[in-house]
Amino acid sequence: MLLDVRNVSKIYGTSCDQCLSLTGVEHDRAICPECGSVVAVNSISLSARKNEILGIVGESGSGKSTLLQLIYQDIRASSGEIFFQGVTDKNGQPSNILHEPPSAVSRLRSKEMSMIYQNPRLGLNFLFSAGGNIAERIIGAGERRYDEIRSNALDYIRRIEMETSRIDDYPEEFSGGQQQRIQIAKALSSSPQLLLLDEPTTGLDVSVQAKILDLIKELQQDMGFSMIIVSHDLGVINHLTDITVVMKHGTLVEYGLTDQILEDPQHPYTQLLVSSIL
Amino acid sequence: MKKMKKRNMHAGPSLIRQSENRMKLDVQNIGKTFTLHNRNSVQVCGFSNVSFSVNRGEMLALTGPSGVGKSSILKAIYRTYLTNPGSILFHRTDGSVINLASCGESQVLNLRRREIGFVTQFLKVLPRITALQAVASPLVELGETEQTSSLQAAYLLDLLGIREELFHISPLTFSGGEQQRVNIARGVIAPKELLLLDEPTASLDEKSSDRVLELLMELKKKDIAMIGIFHDKGKIERVADKTYNVQREDSPVMTSSIQQEAA
Amino acid sequence: MSDHGFAFLDGDAKKEIRRALLKAVALPGYIVPFASREMPVARGWGTGGLQITLSIILEQDVLKVIDQGCDGSVNAINIRNFITSVTKVMTTSKTSRASIIQTRHRIPEHELRENQVLVFQVPYPEVLTTVEPDTAQQKQMHADGDYSKLWVLLYEDTSQYGDSRISNRYPVQVNNHFVMDPSPIPKYDIPRMDNCPALQLFGAGREKRMYAIPPYTTVKPLKFDDREFKIEVFPGVCCERCGARDVFFDEVRLGSDRRYFCSDTEFCDKNMEKNDAA
Repeated sequence: MLLDVRNVSKIYGTSCDQCLSLTGVEHDRAICPECGSVVAVNSISLSARKNEILGIVGESGSGKSTLLQLIYQDIRASSGEIFFQGVTDKNGQPSNILHEPPSAVSRLRSKEMSMIYQNPRLGLNFLFSAGGNIAERIIGAGERRYDEIRSNALDYIRRIEMETSRIDDYPEEFSGGQQQRIQIAKALSSSPQLLLLDEPTTGLDVSVQAKILDLIKELQQDMGFSMIIVSHDLGVINHLTDITVVMKHGTLVEYGLTDQILEDPQHPYTQLLVSSIL
Repeated sequence: MKKMKKRNMHAGPSLIRQSENRMKLDVQNIGKTFTLHNRNSVQVCGFSNVSFSVNRGEMLALTGPSGVGKSSILKAIYRTYLTNPGSILFHRTDGSVINLASCGESQVLNLRRREIGFVTQFLKVLPRITALQAVASPLVELGETEQTSSLQAAYLLDLLGIREELFHISPLTFSGGEQQRVNIARGVIAPKELLLLDEPTASLDEKSSDRVLELLMELKKKDIAMIGIFHDKGKIERVADKTYNVQREDSPVMTSSIQQEAA
Repeated sequence: MSDHGFAFLDGDAKKEIRRALLKAVALPGYIVPFASREMPVARGWGTGGLQITLSIILEQDVLKVIDQGCDGSVNAINIRNFITSVTKVMTTSKTSRASIIQTRHRIPEHELRENQVLVFQVPYPEVLTTVEPDTAQQKQMHADGDYSKLWVLLYEDTSQYGDSRISNRYPVQVNNHFVMDPSPIPKYDIPRMDNCPALQLFGAGREKRMYAIPPYTTVKPLKFDDREFKIEVFPGVCCERCGARDVFFDEVRLGSDRRYFCSDTEFCDKNMEKNDAA
């Protein structure tokens, strides 16, 4: 098991002991009627194995992006456990990364997990060149030889099918689709085990979107990392993922093989979602 | 291919086990009902009371009128459809048995990667991949070199009557029949132990269809178990060892064994 | 308290600064805040160094003050005059005789010894400001030892200009952990901070920050494993006054003429004496 998320919740507000039980898809609300807190993510459990591609789908406000940020430790979960392969206590037992020291979390974020954001400004440092952005992650993963860093950065520029002559150009000199490619190169340059993607192609025009999705899929087949993709677009989910998680009001509505979710959805909400999009 | 060779080297003990148990798939009393929650929770019956089994090296043909649920049964075995009730027991080469109706998603994914293949009528590949790459990729994934895989892929495409000038073009630009042949080539290049075939010859001309059937016959010799849906009787008689007639009613019966081969 | 009335600062101020100094020495390279007092000199004119000097100076100390290596510059003289006016300590220009040396922008050429204190005046204490404006984030990066953004600057200079373009304030890593700003000393002086027998204290009055390098501490410039750290070299140049070679020179332009003199005036004087004797 690469990633194991157990009962993770995120509550914004004062929160009371009823928050989790009074919200979710079966209550059709994410706001606790007792204390008014917003339950963004409600007792979610899921896991990802090596080489697996997970999709998280749901409407705006369903908590899917929040869940991804909880996994990446961009924000801290209110409760629950998250285990990541290789993170162990001193007895070698799996250790909840929510209780690990910041240094361990920081290592996890700079090496083993990478995030690709919908907005390239969140994933790229616009003060650094394309190569500098890629180098930042290679350096973060521990490399201290310039020649090695440079040749790796060039290699990733090639992998995202970009002219290597553009390596020293700055992000604002690239188009939106190219910026997303650079973000992908940066994210993968530390050879992470898990790639998290938050609406990676939303806002790009269709032809660019298809090319980027193809690129992601090819790189995944090449490098063999696991992925969790958040998208409201079932087309993207269908194109990329093996397993799909459907979320609404912070709760997990349905979990299954992607083709099963799309062709034989069980939950009324999933059926609605599938019928309204396809 | 590599995998097959390895297995032959250990032929001794595994052969004994195989002779003891030739069973590959055992479908016991499965049924499928779709509940349409957004249409007043209408219940639609997909199929019910379906039971059959397939041995290694055997082809079972599903028969019955259109709309009776033949494709749905294949999808249920592949776990695209969830079934209830019943069990779908998959016998692995190592002797273990997995219930495809209830095992975990990751286990299904693993089986799909290595042991269960599905040749549908529709080709699903990346648009930028050439026909040759599309066919070669299952072999490459098993660790075979690009070169050997491409040669094998070219052989299969040629055998199925795909013209060489099409090899380096995306198969998504092909005609329906050509796409289907690419799909079959993909399905048989690194044959999985159980192959599900949904109308593999549906839109093929006589000649191509003959070639596909010959390929399937060869797979049987390689001990591959197959479940297929064919649209005409002649083909079933040529390639199937037994048929299972799917019926709308409660008690469909295993009709007959057409030909009892060496097994 | 015997401190009363000695060295300008009141007893409480000295106590507070000394406490901060102890913390700074205990955590080599770590930036410690302190309540920078109003001094009779404008902030930005050496008030950080001045406060450190005044809080550690004793009657028996011998003081040397230099500005860019020069004992006779206006700023050095003014600071020296102020300190002697409030302490009556002896002053010297001889590096070897001084027990406290307050300096701006240079380390004296003469080798420092144990029981000497070198007090640097620092304009910009936080080395990360150029790459990360958020102070909370800076602290987190220091805690994690995450200096990849500084390395990226180095990478970008190396890829675009062949080498680092930093001429002074070259980032150094202290005791294999914190990376700090060594104050605007030239690269020439950086290797001389490493394993130095003297205590090195850094004060930034305007920024209200201080940090320290205890004696015999590892100080390494940030550099790639496969690249040399290059200090300033003056090929074929010798001091017009004393004839010294291989020291740090001041370049004086007279019309189209370039003339070179030792930057460290005391070193130059001593050399002249030696020449005269010989």
